[in-house]
Amino acid sequence: MRWRKPRRAGEIMSIDWITVAAQIANFLVLVWLLKRFLYRPILDGIDAREAEITERMTAATRAKDEAVAAEAAYQAKRAALASEQAQIAEAARHKAQQERDALLAEAHDRIDRERAAWQAHQDAEAQLFATKLQRAGGHALLEMTRKAVRDLAETSLEAQMAAHMGTKLAAMKDDLTHAAGEAHEAIITSHMSLPEAAQDAFRTELAQNFPQVAPRFETDLAQAPGVAVQLGGAQVVWTVDSYIEGLGAALNEHLSRSHDTRLGVA
Amino acid sequence: MTLSPDEIITVTLWGVPINATLLFTWIVMAVLTGASMLITRNLRPDVPPNRWRTALEVVVQGIQNQIAEIAQGPSRHLLSFVGTLFLFVAGSNLLLVIPGFRPPTSSLSTTTALALSVLVAVPLFGISRRGVGGYLQSYLRPSPVMLPFNIIAEASRGISLAIRLYGNIMSGAVIAAILLSVAPFFFPVVMDLLGLLTGMIQAYIFAILATVYISSATAPQTLSSPQKDAQ
Repeated sequence: MRWRKPRRAGEIMSIDWITVAAQIANFLVLVWLLKRFLYRPILDGIDAREAEITERMTAATRAKDEAVAAEAAYQAKRAALASEQAQIAEAARHKAQQERDALLAEAHDRIDRERAAWQAHQDAEAQLFATKLQRAGGHALLEMTRKAVRDLAETSLEAQMAAHMGTKLAAMKDDLTHAAGEAHEAIITSHMSLPEAAQDAFRTELAQNFPQVAPRFETDLAQAPGVAVQLGGAQVVWTVDSYIEGLGAALNEHLSRSHDTRLGVA
Repeated sequence: MTLSPDEIITVTLWGVPINATLLFTWIVMAVLTGASMLITRNLRPDVPPNRWRTALEVVVQGIQNQIAEIAQGPSRHLLSFVGTLFLFVAGSNLLLVIPGFRPPTSSLSTTTALALSVLVAVPLFGISRRGVGGYLQSYLRPSPVMLPFNIIAEASRGISLAIRLYGNIMSGAVIAAILLSVAPFFFPVVMDLLGLLTGMIQAYIFAILATVYISSATAPQTLSSPQKDAQ
């Protein structure tokens, strides 16, 4: 480093124009260098970053719009599904109601049918029981009557039946004679074969009232206990059926009275 | 004592003497360019900015915002010129803290060169923005009588720019040198700190004034109307 020769005091603020020109050139070169290596890269970087931020914000805005649209679509779909669900539920409820009504109607119908069948069965059982009761009652009544007649009148029931029939035949002699016409045989039908004494009594009664008619005795298990005399087109009958029917009516009346009494107590 | 670095011949290249002004100018240029190249060498959009790049972006954007604030319009076309003015002057003044460094801005030749650059840049930017006719008409406003005064004002701008910067920086260096000879330890440090502050302020003022001159030349002329004046 060396010094130039000292200047005078008036030359302190002197300007070296060569240095000025060189400094202008230096400054212009520095402008170019800084523009090349500082301003342009920095500004380009800032611009790129701003563009990227703008792009990201645009993408974010777009994504937000898409999300809003997707949310709206979802809400609409949800509303449609809710409506469809309500319709399906209403249809299912309606169908269930119909099926319930149908099942109830079918159950009522089945119950009615079963009740009718049960009622018919009950009626049949009652009828069967009544028939059995009537038959048993008839036999019991006949046996008791027979026993009572034997104990009280010292005669048989069949003899009394013959006597009773003789009385009825005598009372109806004219009508029976007219109905008998040309008949020469009287058919006497009984549930069981009549004893000989009873048959003799019938022969005696017929001979007194209808001498031209000969008796013929038959048995019919289907006939109720008693005796029937058929003379030509006429028939005179005495059986225990009317008594048994009276017994059945009395029993029914007694039973119904007892049932009404129970219901009243209850 | 040597007041101007122009008088200090540092080296001679191919028979041409290189004074300290030029040498230290190149050093400042190398520092600014080298730092810029180092920081921006890996600058890509996909690489996240580091702290150096962020600091540089703050500096550049600060300069750009200042220019935009003054120019009231697009500022990027002024950034290279005004920003380089600020960075060069600020860098020269900041390197004052290095012992033996003579800031180039303490040379009247440097400040004159910078002022001439501004003087030339003002019409160039004005013509580029408004055209030759539009720019030259500004010398005739508000009336052709003002033409000589406008020319004198334009020249005085450059002179005031050059003298202001030179005077401030050179005086700081001279005072520091005087105090160094009087009280070699304490006062030079204080004066150097003060020089850093005034150097930054001078760089700011120089750049701001250059921006004001250029933007006044490039701003579109508006005719004042009575209604507008009434407002």
